[in-house]
Amino acid sequence: MIAPPATTVINTQNQRLDDGVNRCPRCGATDIQLKPSVGMLVCLFCRHEWAEARLDESIATSDVSGLTGTIIGSGAGDIVAGTDTVVTMKCGGCGAEVVVNTAERMGARCHWCRHVLTVNEQIPNGAVPDAVLPFSVSHDAAVAKINEFAGKRRMFADRGFIRDFKPENVVGVYMPYMVVDANASADVAGFGEVKTRQYTRGTGDNKYTVYDADVYSVDRHVDFTVDDLTIEASAERAQMDAKVNTNNVINTILPFDTENAVKWNGHYLTGFTSEKRDQGVAHTTPEMENQLLAIARAQVAASVAAYDRGVRWERERLQVHGTRWLAMYLPVWLYSHHEIKDGKSLVHYIAVNGRTGETMGSVPVSNARLLAAALTVGTVLEGIVIAILGAGR
Amino acid sequence: MIAVLSHLTSGAVIASSNGPGWLLILGPAGGGGLYYALYQYYRNTKKSHSFETETRVSAQPITGHELKVNEVKGTRKTSIDGANQDKHRQRVQRVS
Repeated sequence: MIAPPATTVINTQNQRLDDGVNRCPRCGATDIQLKPSVGMLVCLFCRHEWAEARLDESIATSDVSGLTGTIIGSGAGDIVAGTDTVVTMKCGGCGAEVVVNTAERMGARCHWCRHVLTVNEQIPNGAVPDAVLPFSVSHDAAVAKINEFAGKRRMFADRGFIRDFKPENVVGVYMPYMVVDANASADVAGFGEVKTRQYTRGTGDNKYTVYDADVYSVDRHVDFTVDDLTIEASAERAQMDAKVNTNNVINTILPFDTENAVKWNGHYLTGFTSEKRDQGVAHTTPEMENQLLAIARAQVAASVAAYDRGVRWERERLQVHGTRWLAMYLPVWLYSHHEIKDGKSLVHYIAVNGRTGETMGSVPVSNARLLAAALTVGTVLEGIVIAILGAGR
Repeated sequence: MIAVLSHLTSGAVIASSNGPGWLLILGPAGGGGLYYALYQYYRNTKKSHSFETETRVSAQPITGHELKVNEVKGTRKTSIDGANQDKHRQRVQRVS
């Protein structure tokens, strides 16, 4: 990769908000939360509804083809080691000090005067991103989706899962992602084969088909832009190994309509939990490059369709001309089941995209039931084969 | 599941073409295929976000070259060795 020009930081801090008391613009109350059905904040005191501005409207995110260098939102900056995840806020109502662990939540109620306090200032601990995409799928809708998903997977499911299944325990979580626009070029090179002749050799039972082919050296170049590539920005979630976790099912419910993400307001998270970002641009760049190369390979695939015996790509090159990085909290409904089998622990997730409702999950299986089904089908098939062979003699 | 079964059985067909005895592999292959297909339906261990097709990508026209460098005669292989034109996530040698 060619070294990109200097990094530019764009300020995405919501200037209107500080840490602590953030009031309803109409009545001044602080009991505010998201109303998923309309995607708006609603004041629980006067019912006033409003929304923060879309991030797209406040910073220029169009024209990816003209992107050069590295542009980073101020909420997507590097995480400074040692920056505390615990934020202490002074309550604007009574002066008390209220502590919030931003690893899990972005707000708390003052235990003295009952005001709701939220964290809104971007400090280098990854807790406040550039933008948030509010939930639009309600808790009830998520429960229905999970019920439907698990309902289709009952017969061979682990009995512990069936016994403990309580879809109403689904939790709304804002997960951290890096959303990247990229302007790039890629080259791939290798060999392709075109069949020129197909014929049969041998005699009797030893007949077989052989082929003649022309071999070509092939290369392709593509200039392309990618809008809103979405990459996990939590080290734990980015680790996708089906042997030890089920993070891949959370990855599968992407994409989100990230173009509708709004400027940060901690009240969007009231009633939800959040997972703090712990990965910066440097950590997620290798995955971005992997995905750009995969996209480039997908883009050139149609241009080598004439090689009817296939193409073997052997070398590839990526030039990233420009990237724009924004950190976002994206909404996921998560149902989890903790399975302990043979001394090993595995958390199975069923995840629902908090915007599109796309659902994917991992349901633990009962090996005994699966084996019984496989043995039954195998035995029946074998019986049929033996009967056919016997009849043929 | 049918795809899994046909995949498992096709190897057996090639491996033994001495009469209909090869059909005996259908029992174990069918049982194994069913186990695999059901396991994947429940656990979804192979699923991931299809970012190649689900991300907004705008590409300029593809350019490139080709040059005939060799001929293959009488091969029994149905495709080029190491064909990876559809394995977009399989990384190959990265050059700078």
